[in-house]
Amino acid sequence: MAGSFNQNAGLDVNRPRLNLNHENISLETRDLNLYYGSSQALKNITMQIPSQRVTAFIGPSGCGKSTLLRCFNRMNDLVDTCRIEGTIKIEGEDIYKPSIDVPELRRKVGMVFQKPNPFPKSIYDNVAYGLRLQGIKSKRTLDEVVERSLKRAALWDEVKDRLDDNAFGLSGGQQQRLVIARAIAIEPEVILLDEPCSALDPISTAKVEELIIDLKESYTIVIVTHNMQQAARVSDFTAYMYLGELIEFDDTANLFTNPSQKATEDYITGRYG
Amino acid sequence: MSITTDTDPQADQAESARLRHRKLRGLRDIGTRLMVSTAGYGVVISLTLIFVFLFIEVMPLLRSAQLGEVVTYATPATEQASDSPETLYLAKERYQEAAVRFLDNGQVEFFEPTSGQMLASEVIETGDADIVSFAHGEPRTQMAAIGLNDGTAVMVKHHYEITYPDDVRKVTPNLEYPMGPSPMVLDPEGSALTHIAIQEGERGITVVAVTEDDRMLLKRFVARTSFLTGETEYTPTEAVLPPPPATIKALLLDITQENLLVIDQNEGMHYYDVRNPNRAERLDTAQLVSPEAAQAGIEVTAAEYLLGTVSVMVGRSDGSLSQYMLVRDANNVGRIERIREFDSHPGSITHIFPEFTRKGFVVGDASGHLGIHFATSNKTLLLESVLPGAVARVAVSPRNDGVMYTDTDGQIHYRTLKNAHPQSSFQALWQKVWYEGRDQAEYIWQSSSATDEFEPKFSLMPLTLGTLKAAFYAMLFAMPLAIFGAVYTAYFMHPTIRGWVKPVIEVMEALPTVILGFLAGLWFAPFVENHLPAMFSILLVLPLVMLLTALGWRALPLSIRQRVPEGWEAVLLVPAIIGAIWACVALSPSVEVAFFDGSMRQWFTDVGITYDQRNAMVVGIAMGFAVIPTIFSIAEDAVFNVPKHLSQGSLALGATRWQTMLGVVLLTASPGIFSAVMIGFGRAVGETMIVLMATGNSPVMNFNIFEGMRTLSANIAVEMPEAAVGGTHYRLLFLAALVLFGFTFILNTIAEVVRQRLRTRYSSL
Repeated sequence: MAGSFNQNAGLDVNRPRLNLNHENISLETRDLNLYYGSSQALKNITMQIPSQRVTAFIGPSGCGKSTLLRCFNRMNDLVDTCRIEGTIKIEGEDIYKPSIDVPELRRKVGMVFQKPNPFPKSIYDNVAYGLRLQGIKSKRTLDEVVERSLKRAALWDEVKDRLDDNAFGLSGGQQQRLVIARAIAIEPEVILLDEPCSALDPISTAKVEELIIDLKESYTIVIVTHNMQQAARVSDFTAYMYLGELIEFDDTANLFTNPSQKATEDYITGRYG
Repeated sequence: MSITTDTDPQADQAESARLRHRKLRGLRDIGTRLMVSTAGYGVVISLTLIFVFLFIEVMPLLRSAQLGEVVTYATPATEQASDSPETLYLAKERYQEAAVRFLDNGQVEFFEPTSGQMLASEVIETGDADIVSFAHGEPRTQMAAIGLNDGTAVMVKHHYEITYPDDVRKVTPNLEYPMGPSPMVLDPEGSALTHIAIQEGERGITVVAVTEDDRMLLKRFVARTSFLTGETEYTPTEAVLPPPPATIKALLLDITQENLLVIDQNEGMHYYDVRNPNRAERLDTAQLVSPEAAQAGIEVTAAEYLLGTVSVMVGRSDGSLSQYMLVRDANNVGRIERIREFDSHPGSITHIFPEFTRKGFVVGDASGHLGIHFATSNKTLLLESVLPGAVARVAVSPRNDGVMYTDTDGQIHYRTLKNAHPQSSFQALWQKVWYEGRDQAEYIWQSSSATDEFEPKFSLMPLTLGTLKAAFYAMLFAMPLAIFGAVYTAYFMHPTIRGWVKPVIEVMEALPTVILGFLAGLWFAPFVENHLPAMFSILLVLPLVMLLTALGWRALPLSIRQRVPEGWEAVLLVPAIIGAIWACVALSPSVEVAFFDGSMRQWFTDVGITYDQRNAMVVGIAMGFAVIPTIFSIAEDAVFNVPKHLSQGSLALGATRWQTMLGVVLLTASPGIFSAVMIGFGRAVGETMIVLMATGNSPVMNFNIFEGMRTLSANIAVEMPEAAVGGTHYRLLFLAALVLFGFTFILNTIAEVVRQRLRTRYSSL
């Protein structure tokens, strides 16, 4: 199998440079292979993602960065033909073992999608949705959490007078922050952001980025982005992926200023399409 | 760089080719736009035309009566006589070619009603006696009786002989005397006959008379037609009836010669059963004028039977008109009921004349107004001032195409009349109506019967209710199956199975409904009747079996479960469901024997539940089958088209699939599901063949699942071939069509509006 060489190369190249000894490790993958039917989408991914940091996945379209992200909350389960080998651990626990309660896993690993996806409900009900799923009905608790979440998502001042309005009335940037508020309302440990700003204008993007930096105090954040400046701005660590392989994983500053791999350098300097 | 390279011939050629292409493209665009917009407008226009056509057919129902130009003339009797004899009766022959007028000096004049030209004149021989009373039987019998002041009476018929000398139609009117021209003795004591009543029927002739000294006498001539000679012999019987408390002022004998209504000076109406005249007794009394009104001097001034002599129209001196009728109680004893009030006339009612073929009547009053009213629809079709003085006598032609009335000078006024559709009114169509022969006001649809006297019952309520009932039970069956099926198919089912299931159900829609109706009416309805316990046990057992199968599946060891690919588990339900249904059907006879004395259908009858073989349950299931594909298909699309990022967003928040379906997917798809239900309902409302074949078509007014119904659509299909073109019935069927059209139009519009709103609501996604 072609992967054997890459596996060694990946380990050899990445391991020595990145020292995560003084970090708490939140997510960990080992020898992760993922197949859609017969085609392999992820090849021997082994990496550790530190806790309460922002980790960015960059790479050209189709390199598998979103697929990798979706492994962490098992959203790939929804794809019929998807098959996974290897292990993924969150806080040391294998999330693919049979006894895992997938909805509970997803509660702990929140996710924000590329396109803002508020539900066709009021702003309040959107934020309260996750809590209600847990069976929380107390109006007081809900009110508190909704307010806190919206404040943390820096949206409270803009919507506090119209919590009962339909969420579709918000602008794209507001919708994305609402979705983030919805995700943090259920107190996850990890937040996965799948190109959260690709559908937003620059001002909204700036707000969401601020929010991401703000949120890393409390959460482990993994962000997939096409925008290298964004990765450079918000992330502490950056992983460059190409054709389903993890090419390089390093400190963001290091990766952008002094990449160890030629492929990474080509990509970040724009020589790669 | 220059854009034009006018010197290069090759470039020139290319340029002109491009121009040609652009021109052609422009033309094609215009052509396409024209075609598409023509088709679009065509749809709108044809829809509008259907509406307009239905309206045009229905409009005449709303028209009231119209009078033509007046023709006034005096006949020789009034012109010549010095004492100006009073008109006793005025009537017209069927085709308005002759009219007759009885005068109180014994003269009978026949004349052309439209011009007043005399046709014939005869005198009834009364000897020395004077005419003091007159009665006419049911107008179509053309039988009259004249009471004289010496206790005798003459029976006389006006008769019209139609001959064709030289192929020209000629009407020769004459008088006939069934009991001979000489007066016959009614009162042997020789007292004057102040009031008289007569009816002729198949069984004979009955005359009732009141003498000056308030005795009420009945004379009946029982007819016996000789079997050999064909001659009719009359056997007379006589009786004295017990008189009412006050002096009589009107006598009304019905055509069966069994019921006599007597109005006295105290404004009381008394009912006598005169089937056996010697044992006749007063059975009921009704006060025609309220005590307060009587104090004010209001009295009954006219009373006349309507066509069929079932109900009596009473006119009073204050111009009010009421309809009274005999209503039979449980012991078949009649009592007088006031069933309707009509619009009041401005003057005292002078004369009431019933129409010949319908339950309408013409009224004249003392203020010179002529009124045309209709009993069933309680409608005033005309109330017009026609004379400066009082109207004395009125008459309407048998075909309701002309009226005549006389003034106090004896002059005759003739007018043509248009009064085609008096039977429909909002009340007659949509409200309870007290029909003749019924003991209360009801909603009835019964458009035709064998006799002319029949009162057509045109209530659209039973039909509308039947339509809703059929649609309701169809939806009851179809809605849960279709919606749950759609949700499962779209959201849970394995894509491979979905690829089979969806097209198969959609193909069901192409099944001709006549086949469904045929199966429902001829196979399924008897099957249900014979397997009633199965129908109910399936309802209980099926969900139970599904749950048990699911639980059993969960209990199986993982190694077996994993052999079935995910999403295919539902296929396991198929044998379970078929087995459960088979078991219910197979056990049905035993259940009937064990619990229902052998027949559940009989048991229903015993406990007092009406059970028709072709009932709402059968229709509900059969029509449900027709509606399921519609609802399923649209609802499935709605659920399936819920954006994946919404359901994923929910799942990513830790929702289970079930929570996601309830909280996000159904919510987002709800407008689509709603419009699916509305379109399905619209289809059920308009469905014809299934209800026609599987309902029994009885227009009942109830929601009993075990009884049939008649829907608007089936009613049109059943009755349109037998309705006279242009008649009231015909136009009412068009009205039913309009109602139906309105129904489906509104339902589909609501569905479309909801769908449009859905579209705009999610356009930002």
